[in-house]
Amino acid sequence: MATLSLAGMLRRSLVHRRARSVSALIAMTVSAGVATALLTLYADLDAKLHREFRSFGANIVITANGSLPADALARVQQAAGVDALAAEFAYAVATTDTGTPVVVSGTDFAAVKRLDSWWQVDAWPDAALANAALLGQRVAQFVGNERAVALTYAGHTVTLQGVGRIKTGGDEDSRIYMPLAAFTAWTGVGPSVIELQVPGGAKRVEATMTQLQKQLPDVQVQPVRQLVEGESKIVDRTHALMYGAVLLIALTVAVSVLATLSASVLERRRDFALMKALGGSQGQLMGMFLLEALVLALTGVAVGFVVGSAAAWAISEGNFHTATLPHLSVLPMVLLLNVAIAAMAALLPVRVLRGLQPAALLKGE
Amino acid sequence: MFFRLLMESFRRQRRRKLLAGIAILLGTTAVTAMLALATTIGDRIHKELAVYGANIVVYPKAELLDVKVGGVDVKPASGGAYLKESDLAKLKGIFWGNNITGVSPELPVQLAVARLGEDRLFPAKAVGYWFDHDFGSLKTGAPALHPWWRLQGEWPASHSGDVVVGANFAKQLGLKIGDSFRTQSAPGDAGASWSTANVVGIVTTGDETDNEILLPLHDAQTIVGVNDGVRRVEVSARTKPEDAFARKDPDTLSPKDHDIWYCRPYANSIAYQIREAMPDAQAEQVRRVEQSEGNVLNRISGLMWLISAAALLAAGFAVSAAMATAILERRGEIGLMRSLGASKGAIAFLFYAETGLLAVFAGSLGYLAGSGLAAWLGARIFAGDGGVAGAVLIPVLLPVVVALALVVAIGGSTPSIRTALRMEPSAILREDA
Repeated sequence: MATLSLAGMLRRSLVHRRARSVSALIAMTVSAGVATALLTLYADLDAKLHREFRSFGANIVITANGSLPADALARVQQAAGVDALAAEFAYAVATTDTGTPVVVSGTDFAAVKRLDSWWQVDAWPDAALANAALLGQRVAQFVGNERAVALTYAGHTVTLQGVGRIKTGGDEDSRIYMPLAAFTAWTGVGPSVIELQVPGGAKRVEATMTQLQKQLPDVQVQPVRQLVEGESKIVDRTHALMYGAVLLIALTVAVSVLATLSASVLERRRDFALMKALGGSQGQLMGMFLLEALVLALTGVAVGFVVGSAAAWAISEGNFHTATLPHLSVLPMVLLLNVAIAAMAALLPVRVLRGLQPAALLKGE
Repeated sequence: MFFRLLMESFRRQRRRKLLAGIAILLGTTAVTAMLALATTIGDRIHKELAVYGANIVVYPKAELLDVKVGGVDVKPASGGAYLKESDLAKLKGIFWGNNITGVSPELPVQLAVARLGEDRLFPAKAVGYWFDHDFGSLKTGAPALHPWWRLQGEWPASHSGDVVVGANFAKQLGLKIGDSFRTQSAPGDAGASWSTANVVGIVTTGDETDNEILLPLHDAQTIVGVNDGVRRVEVSARTKPEDAFARKDPDTLSPKDHDIWYCRPYANSIAYQIREAMPDAQAEQVRRVEQSEGNVLNRISGLMWLISAAALLAAGFAVSAAMATAILERRGEIGLMRSLGASKGAIAFLFYAETGLLAVFAGSLGYLAGSGLAAWLGARIFAGDGGVAGAVLIPVLLPVVVALALVVAIGGSTPSIRTALRMEPSAILREDA
């Protein structure tokens, strides 16, 4: 009789009331799972949103008065980090075969394609084609033959093969784009503008600009102000919204779980009375309840973390099309939350229980 | 008898009813707040995205190519085609006219300027704009479509001879607010006469506008000598993010599809309607703004809907667990009623009626609390956007939320009721004695 150990009592208490234990466990799992999913998403949110904003294109423009130094692009890339996208542009005003002046730009098509994803281009030129050209949709009506566009700059004539049209609704619509090497060989003009896209918020953009100004003192470095400001504003607000949502949902789940658990503890008044009548002290009994709740809470965290991480992964795969890997860093928060709920669920009914007389309770009053 | 049982149950078991009620209340509060936020997030984020400027541009069809490099326009200033300023009123009449939130016409002018009392001329580019123009029920103009412009001083009144200058230009000429300088319309424009411009504001924009003079549209028209002419119009409209259907060419669609396409607020359809209203104009969506906005909008509202679904799931779990516990606690009652001769159906009905009453009551309260919470959160987070907090109560949500609460509460209590009914009354009563 006296050999009944603590572990034995715990095991029996959990196994004997299996339905009750399972429903408590489910409640703890749900609270841990929801907390894990939301916190994981929340931890990744800013990075994910900033990624979406990359589709707006360049947020820094670097302009030289004449030509940029030859290694400018490499230095810009180095200053901005590997995850920044940069493309250089050279400009000249040439004349088409119909006598219309047109802006011709030399650039690297591969870089532009990544940087300016909003360009609607029906066919990007093959990298191997040295005289390929993209025509802005408005330019097309000013050239004689789109397949063989003859352009004159300072007496030099070049014939480009138009492979596609660009549609943007901006300045690009009235320009012709061609590979930089062919452009420089034809006009002798080097690149004068680098468009740079730095991921991350306003702080990173500012830091990069300072860095760039130091690296390239003779050029103008300017932010595309509406992009930088708009991005931080929207990311901040979505962040705040998400924060509100996380708090709200966590609170709801916590309180409901608390209500469920404390009701089931309260229901065990008779156990409580019996143990007390057999000589258990108040502290021992509370310890017993608390231990039971903690075991359930920890199991809930273990299962909930897995379920919640999977949910977070599914949500971000479905919405952002990128995976969110489980964040171990959210585990302490989840653990804290669940243990707090469990402890409160075990301890809150104490005030009710303490006032009860074992004898009266056992008699069924 | 039935009603007495129902009433007494609510009167005497306040603690238990309170617990279940709180669970339902909190659950519906969270769900209502999330759904209310998710349904309005589109408009809110759209307002935020307005900082990117116009999403549709309109220019004359017969326009020559822009020959612009690094913000310097080397196109010959003379010639070219103009749109009629008076035609812009037609924009209000198009199918999606109510979705147009801003209109800003532009007319560039080449000027030569000199400081007061000096003869040295500087070339300068000036652009005529609306600043605070009455456009139907809308007050609109360049500042509204370029929210990133920062102004010191004030915008000029129309037809006044007052101007705002870009920051670089002001530095170049050493101008301050309140100063004046002389302008001469550049050769080639009608009437090369001198006039005096008063600086009423200095604007920083971070782009080529920093080097320009901004003057009222009517003054620019007088200088150029084209009454009623504008070169380009920027339009900002509330649009639906583009999908595959939006990219279709409307003229190749069947009449039925054409109507559907026409009646959706895609940027493409609005541009199409502008072209219809102003036959000599070409309207295009600004893809950089429009495409990316749609992208961001989709992601953020998608996230909100998914979070709402998570809230729904969590609240559902919580409420049904609370209901299950509440019934489980009352097995004694069930045993007593059965031993006194109540039928299973009558008992189940009584319990469902209690649950339903609780769900409707707590659900409605939760709806109110959730709406209030959503309004408060929305107002806090999107503070300073003006008038966004309009729709506080979304009536459609009330039946949805209450029905959800009913379904979840009844669903949650069903297993416990069934288990309790299946047990022998005597066994329950003995166990509980």
